[in-house]
Amino acid sequence: MAEDLAGTSQEVGPRAVLHDIRYSRYSGSLRPRSSAVASFVASSVRRPLGLRRSAGSKVWPFLLLAVAYLPALAVVAVPLLVPQVTLQPTELISYPNLLATNGVVLLAFVATAIPSMLTRDRRDRVLALYFATAVSWLEYLVGTALAALSLLALIVLGPMLVLFVGSIATADDPGRWIADNIGDLPRIVLAAAVVVVFHTVLGLLVGSLTSRRVFAVGGYLAVVLVAPVVTVLLSTVLSDEWPLALDPASGPIRLAAAIVDGTVSGPGGLAWVVWTAVVVGGSLVVAARYSRGSDA
Amino acid sequence: MSIETAAPPGLECVQVSKTFGSVTALDHLSVTFSAPATGLLGANGAGKSTLLRTALGLARPDSGQLRVLGLDAVADRREVRRRVGYMPEHPCLPADLSAQDVCVQLARMRGLGRRDAVRRTSEVLFAVGLEEERRRPVGSYSLGMQQRTKLAQALVHGPDLVLLDEPTSGLDPAGREEMLTIVRRLSADLGIRVIASSHVLEDIERTCDEVVVLRSGALAAQRPVLVEQALTGPVDLLVSGDVGEFARALEPLLAPLGIRVAPTATGDIGLNRSSDAALDVVRDLAAERGVGLRHLVPAARGLEDVVVDAMGVHGG
Repeated sequence: MAEDLAGTSQEVGPRAVLHDIRYSRYSGSLRPRSSAVASFVASSVRRPLGLRRSAGSKVWPFLLLAVAYLPALAVVAVPLLVPQVTLQPTELISYPNLLATNGVVLLAFVATAIPSMLTRDRRDRVLALYFATAVSWLEYLVGTALAALSLLALIVLGPMLVLFVGSIATADDPGRWIADNIGDLPRIVLAAAVVVVFHTVLGLLVGSLTSRRVFAVGGYLAVVLVAPVVTVLLSTVLSDEWPLALDPASGPIRLAAAIVDGTVSGPGGLAWVVWTAVVVGGSLVVAARYSRGSDA
Repeated sequence: MSIETAAPPGLECVQVSKTFGSVTALDHLSVTFSAPATGLLGANGAGKSTLLRTALGLARPDSGQLRVLGLDAVADRREVRRRVGYMPEHPCLPADLSAQDVCVQLARMRGLGRRDAVRRTSEVLFAVGLEEERRRPVGSYSLGMQQRTKLAQALVHGPDLVLLDEPTSGLDPAGREEMLTIVRRLSADLGIRVIASSHVLEDIERTCDEVVVLRSGALAAQRPVLVEQALTGPVDLLVSGDVGEFARALEPLLAPLGIRVAPTATGDIGLNRSSDAALDVVRDLAAERGVGLRHLVPAARGLEDVVVDAMGVHGG
């Protein structure tokens, strides 16, 4: 109650609230482990993209993202903006061609982002902190792998989904187009998964072997740039195609293309063996590197 | 705020051993840390860091049992992890993240929801004096600010126990003073159990209630930091002149008072009690014989003597 100047009383609400910002014991409930891992995944996705960091650290990842999406956006925009163009986006660029076009962007993104997801934590010696009080080594690896998969899906799967959705938008009869082409969608996702899983494991494998980012980037680039030269040379010398299956740069993309359109150039069976060996073997090596649960 | 006396000990070791190759880091160590704040002292290689790392599950003991807050450090590691905060000695912060982001991220990884994590981060950064600088990258911080950030992340989830590994390491005098004040507050005002390892006895004396000394991975000493000196307790006496003759003269005078006289290891005259009447006898006898009292001190030894002996430090 307060009295105004005329002497009549009126109800007065609080004009200010005092917040006690001193340290107090936390008495709230804790969320399940999955929530902790999810928050780790979210922060692990943000860091390579430069989110919540300086403007300069956003330039390179977003430049690569722009380059990756440019072909798909262009072939969708042309039929939409130019009525004279009657071709479908998928007729201008097929899914396998889009995968091959983005291959270089993918390798550049993996080299600069994926191995350093592990190397920076070893370099900064954050692991002792994580493993002591926050997450287990397995949760850490699963979280890092999920973050890497999400980032690479942005580069590989995202443009193909743009192409798919753009084709619906530019179709004369969108409903009929969806009915005719809906079967492409699971194949697109599976094809992207083949590429994304392979390069996630390869990038993390290289990153787990060193704490120096420069060695990790160099190591990954050495694998994906030198191996194609060696395999082509071998193929030429032997006059046979099977060495091409050993190429870690083009092998997964060729497998993905085979999944999307049913055709495969080069020996597919051996490429699957190489893919499986790298994914399984690489995962086991990474797990072995961290299973001691220490930062050593 | 105080720590409940019925609560389980912060750390309890029963015959804990840990070896690294041919090096024995912990040698059948049995010790209980039940004081609100315990200082862990020892020379380099005494096993301090290994004990902390084993308690946190970063190293698995070869044998024995180690319990943290009543929980098995190996079997209940997940629960231990949630209830313990850890401040490592070495730099361990992502240089490109701000103190705020580091604390929020670690709070969320320890199970706090986003809103709670942000609120708790504000509280702990305020408590350690970093509220103004919380948005700057950690890499641009001074060593003292980085130490305080490490302490803040250890507190952000409201732990029951914090393990501090050399909290004043590398700090300048002003930074050290601030850190010691904060550490003392943890157990004295906030009710958080503290185990702090250090090389510096003065740091332990100022921040802890009890000191544990390790030597070669085994318990060398454990005692309270402050020991009540009884006013009538044993004393050591040294006089000028012939000490033995003075002792022989003193003995029959003190016997009726029930006080025994015996030589000490350092050559002083040891009295098992020091009532006012006994001290009067000593004074009168010294005056009668014309000898000076060189010292008359409580026989209970100081913390520094105990620690130096326990650490095996001799000479000088």
